[in-house]
Amino acid sequence: MEPQFILAKAKDEEIAKKGECGGAVSALFKYLLDQELVDGVLTLTLGDDVYDGIPTLLETSEDIIETCGSLHCAPTMFGDLISKQLADMSLAVSVKPCDAMAINELEKRHQINGDTIYKVGLNCGGTVMPITARKMIEMFYDVEPAEVVAEEIDKGKFIIELEDGTHKSVEIDELEEKGFGRRENCQRCELKIPRNADLACGNWGAEPGWTFIEIVTEKGKDLVENANKNGYLDVKTPSKKAIAIREKIEGVMIKLAHKFQDKYLDESYPAPENWDEYWNRCIKCYACRDVCPLCYCNECDLEKDFYSSENEIAPDPLTFQGVRLSHMSFSCVNCGQCEDVCPMEIPLARIYHRMQKKYKDETGFVAGVSEELPPLYSPEKG
Amino acid sequence: MKIAHSICPSCSVGCGVNLIIKNQEAVGTYPYKRHPVNQGKNCKKGRDSFRILNEKRLKNPLMRKGGLQQVNWDEALDVASSQMKSYSAHEIGIITSGSLTNQEYETLKRLAASMGVENIGYNAGNFHSFDFETANLDDVENSSTTLIIGDVLKENPLLGRRVILAHENGAEIITVDLASATLTGINSDEYLQLDSISELSAELDKLLPKLNESSTVLIKELETVVEFENILPKLRESGAKILPVLEECNSRGAMNHLPALSKDDLKEILEKVKLLYVVGDDPASYLNESMKNLEFLITQDYLLTETVLMSDVVLPGSSWAEKSGSLTSTTGQTQEISKIVESPGKARDDETIMIELAKKMGLD
Repeated sequence: MEPQFILAKAKDEEIAKKGECGGAVSALFKYLLDQELVDGVLTLTLGDDVYDGIPTLLETSEDIIETCGSLHCAPTMFGDLISKQLADMSLAVSVKPCDAMAINELEKRHQINGDTIYKVGLNCGGTVMPITARKMIEMFYDVEPAEVVAEEIDKGKFIIELEDGTHKSVEIDELEEKGFGRRENCQRCELKIPRNADLACGNWGAEPGWTFIEIVTEKGKDLVENANKNGYLDVKTPSKKAIAIREKIEGVMIKLAHKFQDKYLDESYPAPENWDEYWNRCIKCYACRDVCPLCYCNECDLEKDFYSSENEIAPDPLTFQGVRLSHMSFSCVNCGQCEDVCPMEIPLARIYHRMQKKYKDETGFVAGVSEELPPLYSPEKG
Repeated sequence: MKIAHSICPSCSVGCGVNLIIKNQEAVGTYPYKRHPVNQGKNCKKGRDSFRILNEKRLKNPLMRKGGLQQVNWDEALDVASSQMKSYSAHEIGIITSGSLTNQEYETLKRLAASMGVENIGYNAGNFHSFDFETANLDDVENSSTTLIIGDVLKENPLLGRRVILAHENGAEIITVDLASATLTGINSDEYLQLDSISELSAELDKLLPKLNESSTVLIKELETVVEFENILPKLRESGAKILPVLEECNSRGAMNHLPALSKDDLKEILEKVKLLYVVGDDPASYLNESMKNLEFLITQDYLLTETVLMSDVVLPGSSWAEKSGSLTSTTGQTQEISKIVESPGKARDDETIMIELAKKMGLD
C-alpha cells in the first residue's frame, strides 16, 4: 500500500508528557495491551541509569508509563530474544531498524511468526555503547556522567540534558573522528527509517509534542486507526514541508552512511596480515555466533570436531570464522552485536557487512529488507 | 520473561552478566553492556553460567545411614550440631573456597570464633595472603609494558581483553609460561618458555629492568606458594603495578576474611582434625588420601561433588544467583549481587544454614 504520513500523540496526558515526542508509541502499546490484542509488549526500560537499557516484557498496560522515553545508549537486539524465548507469544515490539531487519530474516526462516507480531518501528540514527557514552561525556562535555538525566541525537549532535534543564551538545562528527560516538556498524547503517516494520515512528518532520508516523503496512494502518477510534491516540496530518524535511534528513543520513561504508569497508579495511593478528586472539567462545540473531541452528557446524585440529591454540580462521561467514554472511543485517560481544575486540561486523554488501551488489538481495530469502539459500545452512 | 543484572561467578575478574529468567528459572544470559568491567562481553563460561544454577543440584539434606539418604532439615542440623559439640575445638576443621559471598565469610568466621575453632581457612591455591594495592583493569589497559605469567587470554579472557587494548595502544607484552606456545604467547611481543616454574625467579631477574611505574605484571600460573613468595618482593621493588589473578569469584573476599590455605596447609588440617565442616569446597577431589582419618564429615554445598559423596551429613546450599551479598574481584573491586531465583527443592541460603547450626549448638 502507499505509505501514509501522520502526526500522532497519546491522548493520555501522563503518557503524552512522559513519552517521547508525545508518547504515540507508548499509547499504541497501551491500546494493544488494554484490548488484549497481544500477550505482551517487548520494549526497553531504564535500568540503573540513562546508559542502562534493559529489554522488558510488559503484560499489563499499567507498566507502560515506566518504559516511556527513548534511550540512545542501549544497543540491544530483540530478534533472537523473541525467536528463542518468546516465540509462542503474540507481541508488540518497539524495533530499531536493525531489530526489524533481524525479525524480517527470522520470519522468512520460520523462527518468528510474523502474523503474531506488531512491529512498531523507531527511526534510528545509531546508538552509542554505554561505557563509550560515559567516557565521552566526561571528556568532551566536561560533565559527570551520573548527572545526565536524558540524552538525544538530533541534527548531527549528541545532546545531553542535566537535572537543572540545561543542555550541552557536541557534533557527532567530532566525537566519531576521535573514536567515540555511535557504534561503527551504526555509522555504516543505511536503514534509518524502518520501512520493514508496520509503522516507522520518530521525530524527523515532527512538531514538538507529536510523533511523525509513516504507516507502512495494512496492519500498521489498522493499528493506528483503531487506537485513534478507541480514544488512545490523537492524529493529524503533517504539512508537506514536514514530509519534505524528513525526506531530506533521511537522505543526508544515508549519504553519511555511504561515506562510512567506504571508510570502514574499503579505505581502512584491515589487510590480510591484520586479520591474521585478529584471528590469533580468538578464544573460540562462540559469543559472536550466540548473539547473532540469525544464527539459530540446533546443530551448529562450528561445533563439529572435523573442523578443528588437535592442539590448536587459536581456531583456524578458515574453518571457524570462515565456515560461519560462508553460512550466513549474505544474510548479515549489520546489527553489530557480534563485534559488541567479542571479548577480544575482533572487528567482526566489518567482515560480515563487507561480504553482505558484495552479495547485495551482485544479487540485489538486501538482508533484513528484501521480501524473499537470499538467492541460492539452502535451508540447512542459514 | 525478565532480564536481571548480576555478576558472573566463573572467575575472579568480576564481569557483569544479565540472566534471562522465565517462569522463575534461569534460561540463558544476555549482554550487560552497561557494566564497566566487560561492557556486555562474556567468555563462554560467563554465557554458560546460568547452567550452574540448573545442573547437579543438591536439593535435600542427606545423612549417611549405610548409604546417603534423604532426611529433613531438623534431623540433619540436629545431628551435625551435636557432632560438632561433641568434639573439642582443636579437633574441628572448617574449610571453604573462594566462591562464597563476603557476608557468608563473615558469618562463618563468627561461627568458628564462637566455637573456638582455629583450624579454619579457604583453599587459596598458590597465592598466599597479600595486602598491597593491586593493579586494576584500567591500569592493565593503560600499561606501557606488561609482563604476564601464565595464559591470561585463555583463562580470564575479559582480563586478557585489557591486555589486547594495551597492545593496540603500543604496549610491549612479555609472557612467561611452560608450554611451547600459548594463546597469550602468540599475542605477545616476547614469549619465554620455561622448563619449570622454579626457573621463574631467575628468569625474572633478566626482565626486571624493563619494569617501572607504568608497567603491570599479571600473575596467573604458579605451581607453588614458594614461587609467589620469591617473586613478589622483586616485582614490588620495580614499581610495577601487580595483579595476582586469583582463582575464584570471591577468592579476594575470602582473603580479606579468612586465612589463605595452600595445598600443604590444607593437607595438614585434614590430617590432624577429627571433624571437618566443608563449605563450598571439594577437598576430596585433590586431597582424598588425607581425609581417611576423619571421623565425621559435614559438607555444605549446592552441587554434587566427591566430597559430598563421602560425607556423613550433607547440607544443600544455594548457588550464585540465589543469594544476595557481595563479591570482591581479583582487582579488589567489591560488587553487590542480588537474589534473582529461588534455590531448588529444599536447598537453603548458606548464611541461614550457618546461623541455624549456631542456634542448635546454643551459640550466639
